[in-house]
Amino acid sequence: MSKYELPKKFDYKNVNLLKQFITETGKIIPARVTGVSASNQRKLTRYIKIARFLALIPYTDMHT
Amino acid sequence: MKKYETVIILNPNLSSKVETFIKEFEKLLKQHSFSINKMEDIGRRQLSYSINNHNKGHYLIFNIEGDSLQLIDIENKIKYNESIIRHLFISVKEHSGEDSQLLIDSKNKKSDSEDIKEEGDEKKESNIKKTKKEETTDEEKSSKDNKEEEQENLDEITKEESKEEEKDE
Repeated sequence: MSKYELPKKFDYKNVNLLKQFITETGKIIPARVTGVSASNQRKLTRYIKIARFLALIPYTDMHT
Repeated sequence: MKKYETVIILNPNLSSKVETFIKEFEKLLKQHSFSINKMEDIGRRQLSYSINNHNKGHYLIFNIEGDSLQLIDIENKIKYNESIIRHLFISVKEHSGEDSQLLIDSKNKKSDSEDIKEEGDEKKESNIKKTKKEETTDEEKSSKDNKEEEQENLDEITKEESKEEEKDE
């Protein structure tokens, strides 16, 4: 599970970190797959959604 | 008093006028008795999707502190500024005080591009080596996966065998 280790502090600006937790199509990967703790998963979803709004990561791979 | 983090994406065509915009924005913040703890100019960055037909944006991050009611006024003024293509205010418990990962990444990218100009050929060679390494790792992974699948298959077979034995009995 070394691939999915999370640092103690992270936020929406750690784009490369967040990119590990979305699929190629831009979906958030469920915690049952990644093995992330529930509290960290809640943070991840929040930060991924902020990063999407700021165009740091895509909503989908179908953006025209 | 509350602490906020502000991200502003500017029109990339106005990149040369960023400094004047920053001064105006700081003036606006001061008018509303906001204090600026930190300002980060991340620079032009590729957008993941186009906003108002822009493919690039100039990112600015401010760490500010002030009253929540005043913030609404600021946001109302920013809304109709056409040089801003997107903005976001987030309340935070603490300002980290350190450089954000975005700023570090943009700095690294700049230094990388300079290196490419100077030592383009060497970079290409190293890239080729990297790609080769990645291919080997992929192969290893796939072989591991195959092994796991085989094990699963074996388990299933043994289960079936045991069932058959039970039937025989």
